Amino acid sequence: MGKLWLICIASISILLPFLCNAFSPETPTDRRVLVLLDDFAIMSSHSLYFNALKSRGFDLEFKLADDPKIALQRYGQYLYDALILFCPSVERFGGSIDVAAIVNFVDSGHDLIVAADVNASDLIREVGTECGVDFDEDPSAMVIDHIGYAVSGTEGDHTLIASDDFIKSDVILGGKKIEAPILFRGIGHAVSPANSLVLKVLSASPSAYSANPKSKLSTPPPLTGSAISLVSIVQARNNARLLITGSLSMFSNRFFRSGVQKAGSQIKHEKSGNEQFLTEISKWIFHERGHLKAVNVKHHRVGETDEPALYRINDELEYAVEIYEWSGTSWEPYVANDVQLQFYMMSPYVLKTLSSDKKGLYSTSFKVPDVYGVFQFKVEHQKLGYTSLSLSKQIPVRPYRHNEYERFIPAAYPYYGAAFSMMAGFFIFSFAHLYSK
Amino acid sequence: MARRLAGFLVLLLVVSICEAAFLFQPISDSHRSTALELFTPDHGSFKSLEETYEALRTFQILGIEKKPDLTATACRSISETVGSSSSTAKDLFYALKANSIAECKIDKKASKGIISRLKAAVSGASSLLDFYYSVGGLVLIKDQSSEADVHLADAEGVFRSVKAFSQSDGRWRYSSNNPESSAFAAGIALETHAGIVSLASSEIDQSLISTLKNDIIKLFDSIEKYDDGALYFDDKLVDGHEYQGPVSTTSSVLRGLTAFAAVTAENLNLPGDKILGLAKFFLGIGVPGDAKDFFNQIDSLACLESNRVSIPLILSFPSTVLSLTRKDSLKVGVSTVLGSEVPSLTVKLVGAFSSGSKDASLVESQELNFDKTSGLHILNDLPKSIDVGSYTFVFEIVLHEPKHEEVYFKGSQTKVPISVTGLIKIENSEIAVLDSDLGSIESQKKLDLAGKNAISLSANHLQKLRLSFQLTTPRGRSFKPHQAFLKLRHESKVEHIFVVGNSGKQFEIVLNFLGLVEKFFYLSGKYDMELTVGDAAMENSLLVAIGHIELDLPEAPEKAPRPPPQPIDPYSRYGPKAEITHIFRAPEKRPPQELSLAFLGLTILPLLGFLIGLLRLGVNLKNFPTKPLPATFAVLFHVGIGAVLLLYVFFWVKLDLFQTLKILGFLGGILVFVGHRILSHLAAASAKLKSA
Repeated sequence: MGKLWLICIASISILLPFLCNAFSPETPTDRRVLVLLDDFAIMSSHSLYFNALKSRGFDLEFKLADDPKIALQRYGQYLYDALILFCPSVERFGGSIDVAAIVNFVDSGHDLIVAADVNASDLIREVGTECGVDFDEDPSAMVIDHIGYAVSGTEGDHTLIASDDFIKSDVILGGKKIEAPILFRGIGHAVSPANSLVLKVLSASPSAYSANPKSKLSTPPPLTGSAISLVSIVQARNNARLLITGSLSMFSNRFFRSGVQKAGSQIKHEKSGNEQFLTEISKWIFHERGHLKAVNVKHHRVGETDEPALYRINDELEYAVEIYEWSGTSWEPYVANDVQLQFYMMSPYVLKTLSSDKKGLYSTSFKVPDVYGVFQFKVEHQKLGYTSLSLSKQIPVRPYRHNEYERFIPAAYPYYGAAFSMMAGFFIFSFAHLYSK
Repeated sequence: MARRLAGFLVLLLVVSICEAAFLFQPISDSHRSTALELFTPDHGSFKSLEETYEALRTFQILGIEKKPDLTATACRSISETVGSSSSTAKDLFYALKANSIAECKIDKKASKGIISRLKAAVSGASSLLDFYYSVGGLVLIKDQSSEADVHLADAEGVFRSVKAFSQSDGRWRYSSNNPESSAFAAGIALETHAGIVSLASSEIDQSLISTLKNDIIKLFDSIEKYDDGALYFDDKLVDGHEYQGPVSTTSSVLRGLTAFAAVTAENLNLPGDKILGLAKFFLGIGVPGDAKDFFNQIDSLACLESNRVSIPLILSFPSTVLSLTRKDSLKVGVSTVLGSEVPSLTVKLVGAFSSGSKDASLVESQELNFDKTSGLHILNDLPKSIDVGSYTFVFEIVLHEPKHEEVYFKGSQTKVPISVTGLIKIENSEIAVLDSDLGSIESQKKLDLAGKNAISLSANHLQKLRLSFQLTTPRGRSFKPHQAFLKLRHESKVEHIFVVGNSGKQFEIVLNFLGLVEKFFYLSGKYDMELTVGDAAMENSLLVAIGHIELDLPEAPEKAPRPPPQPIDPYSRYGPKAEITHIFRAPEKRPPQELSLAFLGLTILPLLGFLIGLLRLGVNLKNFPTKPLPATFAVLFHVGIGAVLLLYVFFWVKLDLFQTLKILGFLGGILVFVGHRILSHLAAASAKLKSA
């Protein structure tokens, strides 16, 4: 019995690191997600969203946000790969989770989805601030739009917004165009202009504003127009991905199934765009799209195949790299036309767009500049929605050797001619001088 | 507990509407389509008979056509369970339950065997659930076949032993050694009691039933309440194992209650508003996404619809947003919770209150007309006193026949939030630049806020900008929108927003630029102006670009605040950079090859001149030694010189310095030797000639 225990513990401790890591190119599957809820009723009222995740192979674990037993890590190992916070009103997390623990979780490359709502607690606002967005500070404020609201027979306060101002990125929102507007009811947030990692995925229309719909406005609201972000994403420098939204109800079955008609538009959509939008964006969040890896970096002189230790100035060289994108199940060739290579020493000497064979291989050829020193091959690929690729490889470049210069310069022929005629003259003169009588 | 309640409230806010008055819609087609989605058997059959029963029951209540193959597979598993001797009371119970809907043919012999097994289970039962399953099974057999003998001999004894699990607060325990009591168990116990009563061969003692009634009243004392009037039962979270959640708990109590009310002849004296509260709870959860919750909701609503206490009536509204401009009429539908027909009745509008104020009713009490074709009660024209805005309307149901009063519960009054919208007339809109000290108008322009405007104004920091307009409702009253913003946007995308205030009818904003220079960060230049007027009641909410104003502001002092950074366009932040190609050093400029060759030719000329000169001088080789030894040295000497010169040619063509020096050293040695010999021979010969 005791032996069995030992084996059990040993096998768990061996398996644990493999089971519970952040997204990594080596083990991209087997992802465990912790879902923190205010109430278990959300499991039922938001089941379509959760089922969509489960059907894609995610292992969701539902816990109450103030459950005293919850923890993100044990013995220094993270127990989950991603965290979903559907608990807008939680004042304090249970167990060992706090804002710092969540920040550490993200800092170690894990993904996070945060949904706030009207009357969101300070704790959730703090999580938002750590993620780089600021929710409207007024606790009873909502996003109101008197022009872009969703027509509804029963709701007349224009806080149910039909928004279709998406970010233009196929990698974030999927290749299929989202036809129907998104239903949103909740609070707005602003992204800091100084933070370049946060992106507004769904913005409010120019006529929107964030205020308490029941009280009269005397001062201008802090958030207005398209500066209001309804849904934002963050891709951290370690490729952790975050989704922040001010509406929990936009994930609900009711909004998923509800029809939508935007005010002023004659088109009535059978189903809102919420399901498509949120499912597609969750694919991005969970790295099923837009996660790149580069392998097989090769470079050599034109006509050769081996990689040299150094190049000479003015050499012709060829550079090739293979780039793949994770599709959720396998690595697919990445197709783009803007992968660029830099030949870099202090600043780029050559910057060239690599040509692609549409099967993941990117290659180019160029002539080494006539400057010698220690150069780098650099591929810095940053594209909206994709993980950033940063490859660099050092390579020295030497000048010509003394015997590699040109030997017979036509312009110097008169000099050679003069010298040789001199020598011929000397040879003849030596006879004339010595033997003439 | 409070947290969970708060969480549920959030959910309720999601599904209902955030006003003091709440709207509940009866079960509709969205439930039917969801039911088909939720109850889809994988590989043709459900996981358990319990799920099969839930699916069949839900489809039955919602009136969804049963799929024949579903019934067939259900029958197969039912007969398997019934035929097997190892199946437990729980399996038998759910098999019989499913059979009550699927109506399969059960072997007579098998059913006899079940009866004896269930009877044995009743007498051997020790926990509440044992009683529940075995008694429930017997009741189901009794309902399905009238001839079977399922009567319990010792009904009162069983009744007492189930009653023994009850607690003083009206809740029940699951077994005698489990101290935790729950409302969920209470529901199960009530259903069991009802079963025992119907199985009893003789009358059960009335005192027992009346104590049970007291328990029910006590149980209803512990009912919990939401803000919107919804009532529900919930158990304290003891441990996750037996906790069922409010939907299951309330549903269990309701099932027990209905079953009990069906077997006892007399009234339970439950207040109708409690029943209505429970109905509101089940309607308030909307369309659950979980099959279990969905079944509980539908089954409970079916219980409410058929219960003998009273059937709640629900007011439903196709639309609560009414347009004055389109002359929408107020339509009210009355139905039971499952949306079925109700007896003839009249809906009365008792009052209408402007939301947020506690003034007297704006309308007089009036009856709504019943429209037979649509089945709706209609108020064709909204009263004159109702202007745009949001209101709370209060309705009352009046049943035509007094005997229905006992069957149906209509609630005292129903408060419903109604939004009235309309087109707002915008008049007298104009924009002007004023001189500061005198207030005299420098330039004034009319605006057409409904159309396009392209006004261009200019002002300096000593002037003011005035924008004014009037808003009137369709009923001719002044209108104050929630949103009236003037936005000024500088070329550098710095925005300033001002709220347009109102004085009576007139909306006016005066921007005194002298006081605003600091706020404007001393940024002179073109400002685009944008006016937004919007309100929930305003059908023609607008966002118009007015035009632009050219502002001439003073130079910024040194310590003036800088404008905040503007967000960078994410599309421009990424994307490919411009290509860089290295510019190589240009090769040195060289003369054309012809020129070099021409000069090469010129360099040969002096040699030719030298040769011609030698010939002219008559150079000869008469002094060449004649003796063989000196002649050999002379030949070797000149061959050596030639070799050195040839070496120089090779040095130019291919050899490097080191190779050249090596050969040169060798040649030099020979040359010195033979040179010395021939030169000394020549010197001796010339000295001899001189002396001679």
